[in-house]
Amino acid sequence: MINKTFTKDMRETWMYGILGFLVFLLVWQAACVFTNFGKIFPTPKVSLAAFLQAFVEPIGRHTLLGHISISLRRVLIGYTLSSITGIIIGLLMGYSKLAHAIIYPIFCIIRPIPGIAWIPLAILWIGIGEPTIHFIIFMGGFSQMVMNTMDGAQHVDTELVGVAKVLGAKENQIFRKIVLPSSIPYIFTGLQTSLSTSWMAVLAAEMITAREGAGWLIIAGMQTGRIENNVIGMIAIGLVGLILATLLRNAERRLCRWTVRSR
Amino acid sequence: MKEKTKYIIISIVSLISFILLWDLVSKSGIISAKKLPAPSKLFETFIYKLGNKNPDGNTLPIHIWTSLKEALIGFFFGIVIGVPLGISMAWFKKFDKFFSPLFDLIKPIPPVGWVPIMITFFGIGIMSKVSVIFIASFIPAVINSYSGIKQTREVHKWVSQTFGASNRQVLFTIAIPSAGPMIFTGARVALNGSWVSLVAAELIASTKGLGYMIQTARLVGRIDVVFVGVLVIGVFGAAMMEGLSFLERKLVKGGRRS
Repeated sequence: MINKTFTKDMRETWMYGILGFLVFLLVWQAACVFTNFGKIFPTPKVSLAAFLQAFVEPIGRHTLLGHISISLRRVLIGYTLSSITGIIIGLLMGYSKLAHAIIYPIFCIIRPIPGIAWIPLAILWIGIGEPTIHFIIFMGGFSQMVMNTMDGAQHVDTELVGVAKVLGAKENQIFRKIVLPSSIPYIFTGLQTSLSTSWMAVLAAEMITAREGAGWLIIAGMQTGRIENNVIGMIAIGLVGLILATLLRNAERRLCRWTVRSR
Repeated sequence: MKEKTKYIIISIVSLISFILLWDLVSKSGIISAKKLPAPSKLFETFIYKLGNKNPDGNTLPIHIWTSLKEALIGFFFGIVIGVPLGISMAWFKKFDKFFSPLFDLIKPIPPVGWVPIMITFFGIGIMSKVSVIFIASFIPAVINSYSGIKQTREVHKWVSQTFGASNRQVLFTIAIPSAGPMIFTGARVALNGSWVSLVAAELIASTKGLGYMIQTARLVGRIDVVFVGVLVIGVFGAAMMEGLSFLERKLVKGGRRS
């Protein structure tokens, strides 16, 4: 009985899902055929063909996969740097009240500035090139990383720390055995949000300063009037975003099984 | 208590020495003023920009007003459409099954990615910005109100059903109020996303607004104006978040109100 309703439920999920998708495609197609929308926007069929073609035929200097991997490499560099520095500074501020008092007021000046807003400054400071893009991605993820890690280090169970002190643990033992492990779930939340802002920052940076990459692909599509490139770029960007988020969520499930919150 | 005042004093000293050091580095020429203008210079530029149109064609208050207007209009529509959609997706199964796959398609695309397409559709005026910001706030609004409703305690639903509440009553008196904090978290994420994508949209193509101001100032090499713009973006971003938190405290009250 339970099994039967379950399969019925599954069947409905698929049915309505496919229905929704078909309606979406139909509206898209109809809009292209019957309205002015079609003059600037490709039909679903043309978009799909262009998407598949982009895997073999280069757009600009690279194929679609080439552009994506360039963007991913940039994200990887900026994101790794911002995560490492963010975690260190966050732990420091969360654990030591003195460090918090010294760093936090200065950090508060840069915290509310979105990573993307650093683009013009970064160009003036570093010039146009890879380091600028890395810097922008760095700034995009940095403050979230610091805030989340700090939050984690501040929410350590004080009873545990007390017990450790009574049993004669040294400062660095407390830090390594208690503060660090209990901050890890917070650090993972930080890693997840900062990855998606990094992915967004690289797009914006590439739209403004780069000559290749996923962000360049969609802005060039706009500038040359080849909207299908734009559509392809967005499909690819969405897919990559989805894959990145899924990877991190799985990593979290693996690495800190003891605290994974139900999602 | 004494401990606390000690740390506050350290904070103040730290901030002041940071600014003094910045001033010193800039004025002594260790880093040229072309790369790092002194804080006093930034303050002068700020005052100057309040009433002067150079170098980007509009005064600072006009840029701020343009950006705020675009961000808040887009945010408003994102919330007004996103929250009810999220709630109905969570409450009506068929609705959920119909919209979820479509929503999953657009969810992972960062709002900035929509900028070029929206410019193609609507030109570089206000419409393209508002629609990008709409998407930026619509997505978190849907996600958070959806999971807020889904996390309604089953027990609360059962109790109300036992007392004979209709489906509609359960939704409006149990599920939606208990999803309040989640919905506000969504609004906060949405507001943050709106501000970020607005700056991006204005950097890429615009004729007014804070993003436009810093981009133009960069092109003419006025780093002091860029600095002022970036700081103003930060201040207004933070101020809007504070405003939303204030609203949340007024409306939700810890989620305890029925």
